[in-house]
Amino acid sequence: MNMLNPILARLNKMPRAALITIGLFVALGTFAPWLAPQDPSTQNLLEAGLGPSAAHWLGTDHLGRDTFSRLIIAANTSLVSVGSVLGIAMTIGILLGTIAGYHRGWVDDVLMRVVDVGLSVPSLIISLAVIGIVGPGYWTMVLALALAWWPMSGRISRAVAVSIMSKPHIEALRVLGASPWRIYFCHLLPGTIGSVMVYATADAGTAALAVATLSFLGLGIQPPTPEWGQMLVDALPYLESDPRQVLLPGLALTAAVIGFNTLGESIALNRVPKPLTRRMLAARRAEVASWSKENSDA
Amino acid sequence: MIHFISKRLKHSLVLLFLASLVCFTLVVSAPGNVAVLIAELRGAVATPGYVEQVAEEIGLNKPLLMRYVDWLGDAVRGDFGISYRTGQDVSADLANRMLVTGILIAGSAAIATLISLALGFLGAFWPYKLPDRASRGLALLGASTPTFFVGALMIYAFSVTFQLLPSFGFAGPQSWILPWLTVAVLPAAVLSRVVRVGLEEAMASPFVLTAKSKGLGRTTILFREALPNITPLFINALGTQVGLMTATAIIVEPLFAWQGVGDYFLAGVRFRDFMVVQACLLIFLTFFIVVNLIVDLAVLLTDPRIRRQWS
Repeated sequence: MNMLNPILARLNKMPRAALITIGLFVALGTFAPWLAPQDPSTQNLLEAGLGPSAAHWLGTDHLGRDTFSRLIIAANTSLVSVGSVLGIAMTIGILLGTIAGYHRGWVDDVLMRVVDVGLSVPSLIISLAVIGIVGPGYWTMVLALALAWWPMSGRISRAVAVSIMSKPHIEALRVLGASPWRIYFCHLLPGTIGSVMVYATADAGTAALAVATLSFLGLGIQPPTPEWGQMLVDALPYLESDPRQVLLPGLALTAAVIGFNTLGESIALNRVPKPLTRRMLAARRAEVASWSKENSDA
Repeated sequence: MIHFISKRLKHSLVLLFLASLVCFTLVVSAPGNVAVLIAELRGAVATPGYVEQVAEEIGLNKPLLMRYVDWLGDAVRGDFGISYRTGQDVSADLANRMLVTGILIAGSAAIATLISLALGFLGAFWPYKLPDRASRGLALLGASTPTFFVGALMIYAFSVTFQLLPSFGFAGPQSWILPWLTVAVLPAAVLSRVVRVGLEEAMASPFVLTAKSKGLGRTTILFREALPNITPLFINALGTQVGLMTATAIIVEPLFAWQGVGDYFLAGVRFRDFMVVQACLLIFLTFFIVVNLIVDLAVLLTDPRIRRQWS
């Protein structure tokens, strides 16, 4: 339990409403297939466009599909695609960022120029250009978004890597004759990953927004798979007769993004969190201190 | 100052060259045989003979460097080739559409400036009081609501429920209001925070203390002392937001059935019409570079500190 204490202390400082929203989003996304009361793609044209009832808690859409179930499954779709986008983007970003921070010199210059250009062009335009060249599809969308997202984590991991490389223990390792591989994999990489992960969670909101936007434009997640942006564009022609089907997915998406943005703001205000390694060291120290106490008690 | 401008212009030219290189490489690196794709898009059966004819026609058989030089030479003269899908001149299509997107971005930028200044001033006038918290909440809401959802809400509120404004089309100023507002929400939210934070920092500086000791009122200090001080900061942030508006235009233009560059780009992406994608991308990148150049020059004009550095 002692290992958890520093993490709990950090969580306490963050806005509770945002944490609850994100927790709800992640829980819904993870357990969606068991939580959804009905099959999200069963059509029943006789019950199309109904209002809320006992059978359909949030009504049905224009094809008679249960909106409540579709909203829940959409959280799953969103979570999976955001996870893959951030996973790929962070792998590229951390790898290139740490290499730039380790090597410095011209490698650093070239990579950071690329990152600057990547950050100055809107991510939607980058990902659309990639989709336009490769052709639409689920994995194209994920790759296109990852390509638009890696410069962010690349810049952060480069900054963290530079600060780690300037620490005395790295110099000590060099003097002791540690190989570059050992320094890179045992000391630089683990330290960087922890810090970048924290920023990535704050970035998840914009990534979810991008997935929904591409789906809204018809170039992301294809029907019949439910996704908030795609549900919204699906219901848009019926805005006049059945506005609920447009409002509900929009509100769900907005709530998720607000949660992540609030969290991101609080992270930015708290400045860079202590690197994961240092937090673990502190936890370890507390644990060791408690051992000696137990011993003296006995 | 001349030195600064010439250096900045050279920088922009290098960036333009890089942008053209990116646009060209992107299309060249497309998987599959472009000639087959074009032959099929034209509705013909892609026999090897016809594919070869198409390849010859659009110059696919020349070496890469020659193709780049040819393409760049045409692009500089404003000729972006012919759409693979419709067979129409891309430049002619673009010329009409640029005006539409220009109106969209200019109007939204003006609205965003007004709203953000108002919200930022409210917050700075009553710091940490109700107006400040309200404007902060609005900013968070505006920055988090998806643009397409904002557009849908606008249509629902103003054209379905109250039937005040047309829900789509590009016909006169009345039909411009909804798209303007939709695009303006996100930049207004971001800029209002810039104004609020900038004003707070300016209000903590020594010249404000001097103004206070002279007995000037809070309103006078905010408008006469703090506002000119945050102008360079604001112009910088506005430039970034105007650049981002091109991305928003891609979402908003199809929603309101506007025939703008964003809509054209989206259609190009949907049908893998490389010439259109390439031309629009080059226009977007050129737009970013030009906006950045204008921002830097405007900052130079409004900020005496930077001007002195370079004279």
